[in-house]
Amino acid sequence: MHLLGWIAVLLYAAAEALAIRSLLRPKGYGGAPALVVAGLAAQFAHLYGAAKTLGSVPYRTLGGSLALFGWMLGIAYLVLVLRHRERAIGPFLIPFVLAFSLLGVLLPSRAPADPATSGSLFAFHVTLAILAYAAFALSFVLSVLYLIQARQIRRGRTGVLFARLPALDVIGRMNRTTVAIGIVVLSVSVALGVAWARQVWTGLGDAKLLFAFVTLLVYGLLLWMDRRGWEGPRVALLSIVGFALVLFSYTFVNLYLSQSHVFR
Amino acid sequence: MNAANDARLFVVGWDFRGAAEAVRARVALSAEEVREGLRKLAGVGLVAESVIVSTCHRSEFYSLAQGDHAGGDLTQFVSEWRGLDRAVLESSGFRRFGGEAARHLFRVAAGLDSMALGESEVLGQVRQALSIARETGTSRVVLHRLFESAMRTGKRVRTETEIAAHPLSIASIGVELADKVFGDLARRTILVLGAGETGALFARHALEAGVRDLRIANRSVERAEEVARGVGGRVLPLDSVPAELSSADVVVGTTASPRPLVTRKDVEAAMRQRRGRPMFFLDLAMPRDIDPEVRDVYNVFLYDLDGLEEVAAENRRRRVREVPRAESILEEELGRFLSWFGNLSVVPTLTDLKRRLEELRDGELARLPAEERERLRPLAESMVAKLLHEPMRRLKSEEDPSRKLERVEAIRHLFDLDRRPDGE
Repeated sequence: MHLLGWIAVLLYAAAEALAIRSLLRPKGYGGAPALVVAGLAAQFAHLYGAAKTLGSVPYRTLGGSLALFGWMLGIAYLVLVLRHRERAIGPFLIPFVLAFSLLGVLLPSRAPADPATSGSLFAFHVTLAILAYAAFALSFVLSVLYLIQARQIRRGRTGVLFARLPALDVIGRMNRTTVAIGIVVLSVSVALGVAWARQVWTGLGDAKLLFAFVTLLVYGLLLWMDRRGWEGPRVALLSIVGFALVLFSYTFVNLYLSQSHVFR
Repeated sequence: MNAANDARLFVVGWDFRGAAEAVRARVALSAEEVREGLRKLAGVGLVAESVIVSTCHRSEFYSLAQGDHAGGDLTQFVSEWRGLDRAVLESSGFRRFGGEAARHLFRVAAGLDSMALGESEVLGQVRQALSIARETGTSRVVLHRLFESAMRTGKRVRTETEIAAHPLSIASIGVELADKVFGDLARRTILVLGAGETGALFARHALEAGVRDLRIANRSVERAEEVARGVGGRVLPLDSVPAELSSADVVVGTTASPRPLVTRKDVEAAMRQRRGRPMFFLDLAMPRDIDPEVRDVYNVFLYDLDGLEEVAAENRRRRVREVPRAESILEEELGRFLSWFGNLSVVPTLTDLKRRLEELRDGELARLPAEERERLRPLAESMVAKLLHEPMRRLKSEEDPSRKLERVEAIRHLFDLDRRPDGE
């Protein structure tokens, strides 16, 4: 059953190799996007198979949700390649797609079905939350690239990275769009989650909800400060902080603090 | 190189390495003079083909001629035509023959022989040299192929290596850095302080980069207006610079002012108005126009001459590192050209042609029954011999080396004599 998942991982790994090569020797697209498309197709087939057996989106396990995360990040990469003709991002973004997909096939995926967590409201809530996290992961990568490029420019290092990475203004704009999408999607996800919880639970006091609000606050602050004098490295740093928070919320909060967001 | 009996490829030239400015100035030719020179050369019958490459750094006469005296004869011709002492020309110029002459042109086209390693302008000049020679009819089968190959080499070297990727001039480096901050300079506002030589040069550079909103501030408004007219810019008095700063994305300092014209305070105020949008300063002035402390303001980029010179030096080193790769491309293309040229000899071509016809003859004979084969063999043999006789005689007696080579090439092409065993 994991065969398709492994195929996807191998395709992503090959795509990364090609992406690095085309970063150093720029001639055409170097095939990386095509391999990512193939990987996404294999992974989709894998996730779809899992979904059919489960009768729901396969997010109930940490492995399944990470795989979904990786898949959405792969889609985001394709959007950047097709929309912005931006292939310099590839070598930095594909490793995340690869890592999440690899974890997705390595971590256990069999989970007992819980009748309370079926239904489309719940499915949308979780899927959108994962999409929002994928957007924030993308923003994290863009921010790291921003800091690298700003450093190259400031020091007058006009080497390979300088030449291949986009201009600061371009990275900044992509970052802004990505964060805005993340905020909107996460807000909808939280709203759906709250609506669902009112049907099932008695109270809303959950650490995960608190962290979702903190995350929204940090990214909201980022967009606001971006127009109030922090445009540049400070906004990039804030996005990196925001993503650390997302990772914390995804792992530590789920495992130890939250009563309702454990994988089961 | 023994192509076409004794037709030899050679180049006689004077470049910035060997020839003093005074000599180079006399042999530097305008397009019209190049045309005149080519016609004269053809008129005196010194050479069969010729192309002249003349730029401010070099004047080179590429030729195809009979015999060993052509190099000296050509120098004599230049000496008479340009009114220069032959001894001076001999001592300051260079001569290369055969493969070395071809290699020299390939190096020139690739920018490997340029003062600024890898520069691209020379490729256009080589192309122009060929097109003038084609117009006057002095570039024919050999030089045409030689120049086409050299231009292909030049293009390949620049796309397949990074020899031309990193700019060397201060202004281009400034534009490249600013480009990586703003993405597209065309939509940005550029403020040039000073309308002197550097200021005017940079304004033109910005115009070429597509900048539409260009402002020029200068102590003398008349001078600024003069420069602004040429580039479609707007003029500001120097004392309004601090107030106008916030609307400029890129500021270039080029004045002779003894004190900085832009202080840290000015920039901090401008950045508040810009709500943190980045600013980019290039200080090309000596002493400085922009207070070095401006560098520490958030999201501000500042480069002075020293910093830009360092980038230029690093870029030069990067280009030098690409030379071995450029040279291996060059050798590959040169090998291809020389093997084509080498194949143009009359004797091997006739041998090849004879072999091809005999193969055909034997192939056809082999299909016949044994006794008929023996009966028809003398007929077939005499037909092939007669077929070959006239072309051989005519080729050998052709006196114009270029026409001879053209015909040899036509035979090789029409009878497919260059077909390799792998069917290529």
